[in-house]
Amino acid sequence: MTPLLETENLVKEFGGLVATDDVNLTVEEDERVSIIGPNGAGKSTLINLITRRLDPTSGDIRFKGESIVNLEPHEVVQRGVSKSFQTASIFPDLTVRENAEIAALAAERGAFGFEFLKHRDSLTDVHDVARNTLDSVGLLDRANTVATDLPYGDKRRLEIGIALASEPDLLLMDEPTAGMSPEETKSTVELIEQVKRDHGLTFVLVEHDMEIVFSISDRIVVLSRGGIIAEGTPDEIRGNEDVQEAYLGGVEI
Amino acid sequence: MSEKDANPSAKDANPTANESLVGGDLLSRWEQLRGREGTVVGLTAIFVALFPWLFARAPVISDFLQGYQSLATLILIWGIFAIGFDLLLGYTGLLSFGHAAFWGGAAYAAGIVAKNVSGDPIVMVLSGTLFAILFAWVLGFLSLRRGGIYFSILTLAFAQMMYFMAASPLAFLTNGENGLTGVDVGSLFGVLHLEADIPSVGGMLLGTWLYAFVGIFFVAAVAVAYRILNSPYGMVFRAIRENEQRAEFVGLNVWRYKLMAFIISGAFAGIAGSLFTIHGAYVPLQSLFWTESGDIVVMTVLGGAGSMFGPVLGVGLYLYIENIVSTIQVLTIPFTDIVLIQDFGYYWHLLLGIVFVAVVWVVPDGLWGIIGRVRTFVSEKVGGEQ
Amino acid sequence: MSVLSDIVVILLNGLQQGAIYVLLAVGLSIILGTLKFVNFAHGALYLIGTYAGLFVALNVPLSNGKLYEWGLTTLGLEWGFFAALVMVPLLVFVVGLLMERFVARPFYDRPDTDQILVTFGLAIVVQELFRILFGSNSLPFDQPERILSFGSFAGIPVSGPVALPIVGNFPQWRLWVIGITAVLVALVYLLVEYTDFGLVVRAGTRDAEMVRLLGIKITRPYIVVFGIGAALAGVAGVVGGPLNVVNPTIGTNILVPAFLTVVIGGVGSIAGAVVGGIVFGLTTAALVSLAPAWSQVGLYAIAAIVLLTRPQGLLGDEEVAP
Ligand SMILES: Nc1ncnc2c1ncn2[C@@H]1O[C@H](COP(=O)(O)OP(=O)(O)O)[C@@H](O)[C@H]1O
Ligand SMILES: [Mg+2]
Repeated sequence: MTPLLETENLVKEFGGLVATDDVNLTVEEDERVSIIGPNGAGKSTLINLITRRLDPTSGDIRFKGESIVNLEPHEVVQRGVSKSFQTASIFPDLTVRENAEIAALAAERGAFGFEFLKHRDSLTDVHDVARNTLDSVGLLDRANTVATDLPYGDKRRLEIGIALASEPDLLLMDEPTAGMSPEETKSTVELIEQVKRDHGLTFVLVEHDMEIVFSISDRIVVLSRGGIIAEGTPDEIRGNEDVQEAYLGGVEI
Repeated sequence: MSEKDANPSAKDANPTANESLVGGDLLSRWEQLRGREGTVVGLTAIFVALFPWLFARAPVISDFLQGYQSLATLILIWGIFAIGFDLLLGYTGLLSFGHAAFWGGAAYAAGIVAKNVSGDPIVMVLSGTLFAILFAWVLGFLSLRRGGIYFSILTLAFAQMMYFMAASPLAFLTNGENGLTGVDVGSLFGVLHLEADIPSVGGMLLGTWLYAFVGIFFVAAVAVAYRILNSPYGMVFRAIRENEQRAEFVGLNVWRYKLMAFIISGAFAGIAGSLFTIHGAYVPLQSLFWTESGDIVVMTVLGGAGSMFGPVLGVGLYLYIENIVSTIQVLTIPFTDIVLIQDFGYYWHLLLGIVFVAVVWVVPDGLWGIIGRVRTFVSEKVGGEQ
Repeated sequence: MSVLSDIVVILLNGLQQGAIYVLLAVGLSIILGTLKFVNFAHGALYLIGTYAGLFVALNVPLSNGKLYEWGLTTLGLEWGFFAALVMVPLLVFVVGLLMERFVARPFYDRPDTDQILVTFGLAIVVQELFRILFGSNSLPFDQPERILSFGSFAGIPVSGPVALPIVGNFPQWRLWVIGITAVLVALVYLLVEYTDFGLVVRAGTRDAEMVRLLGIKITRPYIVVFGIGAALAGVAGVVGGPLNVVNPTIGTNILVPAFLTVVIGGVGSIAGAVVGGIVFGLTTAALVSLAPAWSQVGLYAIAAIVLLTRPQGLLGDEEVAP
């Protein structure tokens, strides 16, 4: 069976700097993969290559067996790859509901349409998806709040909600708990676990909090200086000396 | 928004009405009504029907305002232009400095059609608008290749190119520097002379058939713009304004939506430009010059970009000051002899520039935003007092 | 022979016209590249430069405007052109610093559209001020005959015809404009490429965030960048003034070609601004003598072609993703 996502000899250079170094990553359907690695290892770059925010220098990316390196970012999303950003990337002056509806609109009605004279009240499918999404991220009771007025943790939830409302087959999350208080982190982790249960979603998670990583993932991929130095189940990674070396020069993790 | 509040402006999406009290009850009922499409279009129609009478003919008020019929028509024409322009600037967040190309281009197209094919006003509007749409498509395609500031610079550049084309190489069509003279506007449906007064009450209210003709387009423009803002497009436009990158990453083809915003606003400019030719029976070369694009930017921002009627307010004020207040040489405080400014006609453009800078600096949502805040403040006071 | 001399004349005229674009575009480009600030009031600096140059160098009759109404029939210091060439850039440099401090800086963190709107408003205000003070009629800015004349020294002749090989007589002042521009642009280039100041500027062009993270206090170089850009616009006003009409609209009229020069050359690239300016100058000069009706259109056509084929500009970098 073809994997859901695979990258083949993927390379990204910034000037002289090799940020992604010959990466061959596969993600199977229904798999929860975490990418870890020290700061500047190239985790965000790898995610940005997959979402087509960045052009690879060389190599191929296939989703459901088809190459996506020549697609526009929105086309990749339409194929089923969605991303939650490292910083809360929302539509600040719109309401929470509208935030979700925009993502649902793209999922239900495609990347573009000509419905500029159709009243939005008639888009029941869009409203349903948006409501369900807000319900599952626990923001339904705040649906009429203007997004910028949400506390930071809720903004991040909304950010994940927007990514979910696109109804992805693969969800990429770049440090979803960055900048959160311990309570906010805890509830976000619960959210991710619940999404994992309810939606049976395949996801790739970039995360620096090892506790979260080891509890949530089926498989862990370790990046260092752009290349994969180890991968395996949480237990395999825990005992791997290369990994301990790459982090903090051998300190126990 | 789906359940009750269909107000397109996110900025006043949070009306603070006090529900438990009589005053508050009326207010909140009004808050609900005023967001409805029918209410908006109906109020617009009433405004259009009363405006020229109040402005040019009503006792006392019109003496004070010193308005006249053709200025009322002109205000509605520019109002249509501004409503379309605001769809682009206020809602999508794209600042075009090239809308003179669509306004002036449509004006020329309508005029040239009138001279060579048919002077039927409806044919003129259709051909001018069609030209503006096609032209906006091409220009948008070129200008949207690069985002952000480049868009403003490129729209400005390509519109200037149109100006210089009309000035010289295309002078055989446009009559060059002199402008397109001798445009013969025919009668509407073959019977109604647009310049003639409407008989009886209609004439007292509306004045000329021309005004009625323009007024219908104005009401239609409001209805269509309001519908667009409440359609999926309205959501997507605001999403692009708020966070373009995120819009792309939820799977929206941002580029094509931007192009559509550009074309739609070009179409509004085209309708307005064609009506401008019908109104004046003449197309000045100036109508393609970039100062014309600058004027619509100033009017829209002064009035309040990102609101439905703010830009129309901006248009009204700008044209009123330009055409009436600027002829007053000594500006006094009304009903007194206290002189504010000598030689006002000489300074008005400077003062306008200063006010414009101040608005951009301090109140980016313009006069309409100020009015909105005052309204909120008052309704809180009224609700809270009892 | 005559075809050849025509070509050389077109080349020289083109370089001269291009030189004015280059002076404006280099300033715009480093400000846009380094500070990410869009200055629609850059033309106003050119306007100030021209008028200041005029009033320092000569004494001109006024024919309308408020100053005239208040009884001033002539205005000017008559200090000669060299004085103008030295003083005006300094003056406009200071204007640039003020502009950075009081207009640009409050807007660095606001959207691009606000930057454009506020500088556009400022351009209107400056233009109107000049119109009100000095009138809307064009003022005569005679080409300087000699510079540096004092006492018994007659000075260096800079205007009037000069005999050149191939073309015969050519207006000398145009050559001076090309020369002055070349020297100034070379100086700015050296400054940016080979000094510590330039290093910060170049780094800022590539990644302002990075420079900030590295902890370089960037305010001072920034304000100086703005000043230098402004001073170059001032120079353009002084040297270009005698070649064009002088009235309050020249600032806004030159803004569009100047911005286009930046865009087709590539933002942040001095070499790009030079190439862009020369391309525009040559195109305009060629069309003026070959197809005058199209002379104003050619520049925009070139811009359209460049942008369709190389959206990042002739010498611009491939866009780096955010
Ligand atoms: N747009 C860019 N331009 C130049 N270098 C970049 C860019 N983005 C990332 N880099 C560099 O690539 C490397 C990997 O960065 P990143 O993927 O953000 O790391 P991580 O997310 O693992 O911390 C870093 O050295 C970073 O400086
Ligand atoms: Mg990262």
